[in-house]
Amino acid sequence: MRTSIMSQMQRSFSIELPKLVPLQLPSRMETHLWYVIPDEVKSTSLLKQYSQLLSPPENDKVLQMRGDKLQKNALLARTLVRTTIARYQTNNGVDPRTLMFKKNMYGKPEVDWQNYKNCSDPPLHFNISHTDSLVACGVTLHVPVGIDLEDKDRKIKHDVLTLAERFYSTDEVTFLSTIPDPEVQRKEFIKLWTLKEAYVKALGKGFSAAPFNTFTIQFKAGTNGGYNLCKEETKKCNRDWKFGLLELADSHYAAVCIEDDQARAPMRVIVRKTIPFVEDELISESKFL
Amino acid sequence: MASLSTTSLSFKAPSTRISQVLRKGSSFQSVTFGRFTSSTSKSLRLQISCAAKAETVQKVSDIVKEQLALTADTPLTAESKFTALGADSLDTVEIVMALEEKFNISVEESDAQNITTIQEAADLIEDLVQKKPAA
Repeated sequence: MRTSIMSQMQRSFSIELPKLVPLQLPSRMETHLWYVIPDEVKSTSLLKQYSQLLSPPENDKVLQMRGDKLQKNALLARTLVRTTIARYQTNNGVDPRTLMFKKNMYGKPEVDWQNYKNCSDPPLHFNISHTDSLVACGVTLHVPVGIDLEDKDRKIKHDVLTLAERFYSTDEVTFLSTIPDPEVQRKEFIKLWTLKEAYVKALGKGFSAAPFNTFTIQFKAGTNGGYNLCKEETKKCNRDWKFGLLELADSHYAAVCIEDDQARAPMRVIVRKTIPFVEDELISESKFL
Repeated sequence: MASLSTTSLSFKAPSTRISQVLRKGSSFQSVTFGRFTSSTSKSLRLQISCAAKAETVQKVSDIVKEQLALTADTPLTAESKFTALGADSLDTVEIVMALEEKFNISVEESDAQNITTIQEAADLIEDLVQKKPAA
């Protein structure tokens, strides 16, 4: 621990941060889904505190975003990850600035736990997604997770079926083409997009490992918002992958995907809204679409 | 791995450039066309191309601006990365399709995944337009 703190000395740790309220770890079949509404974070001094949490490379990436709004959202995304993960650490709280991140061999970001070898905390997994108006982070224990957000009112410029025929599986195209109302069809297309994206992100091996048209995600009637993942070629379904689709902040669809080969119970998603260092609000528990 | 010393090549056209593209696992959060590239395809691609005409770059910029609903004061250059402009995976798919329609070309998914900036899109477009069989 000492060496890692020494190596962080070049960043100014003399600045006092407000205390972070600790959190109870998610249970195995639970995903904790945290979100921030950028428009609700107005204080420039708070945003300045946030930028002090980020590593220099993270700050550089934020500054590369073109425009104030995009920069703010990028800052909030990294802040959300750092503060949320730090809060789950049970040993008297961890300074979010000391968290280190790395990428798996395919480029998926994950926490680098090497500095915490002596801690008894089991590894957490996380995944972020953000749009113009919402930033979210999903956190799980032991199991890989992927999340994706899309604005419910997002306009699709191309014909939805043309897009589906090119990118989705045949069963998904069939499903979409049976929907008579174009507005409903657009919404179902977007929901499917978030589910498929969440799966690819949970898989963490890059898009080329699972092109969208090689798998189908199908709604399971009679379950509380459950979905099946099936391979296009073989039509075989893999029950290790669990999905949840929810509505966030009345404005977005959010898909959560986890891989768990040990549990047959449906997944749970606890949704909380937050402004880091300021407040948390419990929004819902497993309220699926 | 092919190694090519630039001194052994001579090109007459002044605007020709050689770009060496080494595909490695790129940032997971930076969404290239179709998402991040897989690091397992560690192929060294040598691209010899003429830098795209300013006109093509302009047309690509216009399509990108429209798809991403960028305000007039958003700083935008040929080197602008789509992700830095706020494009997500669905945006990049729609941008590629709009480019296909505008230029009457067909972009392979593998090519689409390698485009990360306006300049790269313009270069690919010119390459594909050139390769089209004469009408």
